[in-house]
Amino acid sequence: MSDHSKSPTDAPSIAEIITVNLARSFKNGEVGFTGLVTGGAAALYGTSMPLAAMSLAQAMHAPDLTILLAGWSHNPDLRSLDVMPDSEFDAVLRDLPCEAQMISYPGQWAIKRGDIDFGFSSGVQVDAVGNVNTVCVGDYRKPKVRLVGPILLPEHMTLFGREYVMMPHHARRNFVRRVDYVSGVGYPGGMEGRAKLGLTHGGPEWVVTPKCIFDFDKRVGSIRLKSIHHGASLSDINENHDFGLTFAQAETTPMPTAEELDLLRNHVDPKGVLLGRR
Amino acid sequence: MTDRTSKIGTIADAVALIPDGTRLAIGGFAIYQHPMAVVRELIRAGRKDLTVVGTVNGNEVDLLAGAGCLAKVETSYVGLEKFGLAPNFRRAIERGTLEVVDYSEILSFDRFRASQENLSFWPCDYLGGTDVLTHNKDIKPFTCPLTGRAMHAVPPADPDVVVIHAVAADRHGNVILPQRHLLPQSLDVIMARGCDTVIVTAETIVSDAEIRRHAAQVQIPSYKTTLVVEAPWGAHPCSVLGRYRADDAHFAEYIAASASADGFQRYIDRYVHGPADHMAYLALVGIKQLTSLTEIDRL
Repeated sequence: MSDHSKSPTDAPSIAEIITVNLARSFKNGEVGFTGLVTGGAAALYGTSMPLAAMSLAQAMHAPDLTILLAGWSHNPDLRSLDVMPDSEFDAVLRDLPCEAQMISYPGQWAIKRGDIDFGFSSGVQVDAVGNVNTVCVGDYRKPKVRLVGPILLPEHMTLFGREYVMMPHHARRNFVRRVDYVSGVGYPGGMEGRAKLGLTHGGPEWVVTPKCIFDFDKRVGSIRLKSIHHGASLSDINENHDFGLTFAQAETTPMPTAEELDLLRNHVDPKGVLLGRR
Repeated sequence: MTDRTSKIGTIADAVALIPDGTRLAIGGFAIYQHPMAVVRELIRAGRKDLTVVGTVNGNEVDLLAGAGCLAKVETSYVGLEKFGLAPNFRRAIERGTLEVVDYSEILSFDRFRASQENLSFWPCDYLGGTDVLTHNKDIKPFTCPLTGRAMHAVPPADPDVVVIHAVAADRHGNVILPQRHLLPQSLDVIMARGCDTVIVTAETIVSDAEIRRHAAQVQIPSYKTTLVVEAPWGAHPCSVLGRYRADDAHFAEYIAASASADGFQRYIDRYVHGPADHMAYLALVGIKQLTSLTEIDRL
């Protein structure tokens, strides 16, 4: 038997630090969209931390924020879960109590009108302008690895107000100068470049990794190092990307307050279903 | 009095409506509720050069890709969700023996809406900068005649044949969409409404009286349906919402076998070519395994 409760003075984990920083960035009344990613670190970054962050924001400063789990379950009762669901459209998620279920397309949200304020996505590669790839590694016609396809990435990066790109592994091969396939568009040519492509809305806001948070100089369209998590170093970051630039400095990712940690551990995720048992 | 026509047929009748080269839409979504009994029969019949036009595809496309039935797939996703990448689809693409035409997910839905509305294209204003445009030459740029805005015309799905798997239908082709459904089941309805040849396999063929009791849920009326086939456990190893869960053990066996082309061949020898038909397949999977998957819906 493990004791899941932990005193708020205990040192926060990287997952908790990321979750709190995500939570602080959400505004009251926003609608946040997360898919249902499965498997280890991918599930933690793609689904569990976003859900924990949105729930924490609801408990702190954003009571009117709407969570869209798997894109369709509105404000699910996450505290009733004993394990994270692993399927987007099976009976488990259907039977999870929530406020509204989107059971058809087109449904409750008008995605093209901008109903969704922010989303979370991931990919095998992110590049220096914030493009994200979910389609292939290597040449498109004869790929080294064929992945799943563009899925909802084109929509995430244009129709949503902003995007948090959640990268569960921080390795050089994931952070490249130019992605092998642009599934979701970043800032090629900056905001002006996006406008020339006909894109007047959305785009990547942060790229979140186990080592750091990147953001963008949107005017010129270049990725920046926003902050480094406790325990990682600048050289650690610079050795593990291939953006074709060197980051000179960055602040440390802000730490959670005692109140945030207490809410996260004892109210949002008391069973450790989202961020793991402690 | 003349009797009303029965549209009841067999899985072999279904496959006879899907000749080599058919542009085929297969119901279900990712790893959910695909008409797998028909998919397996397509392989037994040795179908070739099929194009699958889809939205979010999974093990049904992976099985057909591995068995060499496909020439092309038009979709936004081929994968097995919690079971990972689609191994046989992936192998075929990497070897260059299968063509994939990529769409974004919402557009892959909208293409079927375009077919339902009998439109020649669906307009889109958010594809700029993606490699969807680089590689998909079926999407064409145009200027909005009202606003002057640069847009893209996305071709409709326009399948020759749609095949879906439903919980219940009657012998005339009325198909019930359960009240407690989710997105995959509603996408099946959009698919069926946009095609003139619609094959429905159903867990159960119900009486005319049963249909009348569920009239508001008959979202595919009889005149839309070409052929109805009773296929209990017809989506196995996929789930059918409200009836049975996915057979995770079978999926795991499939994934393990598909690590190599030889292993996949042994899988289809055992589970597709071995059993003569769907009932023999169910006997092979076994009653103990099948009944362990039964789901109890709201009581």
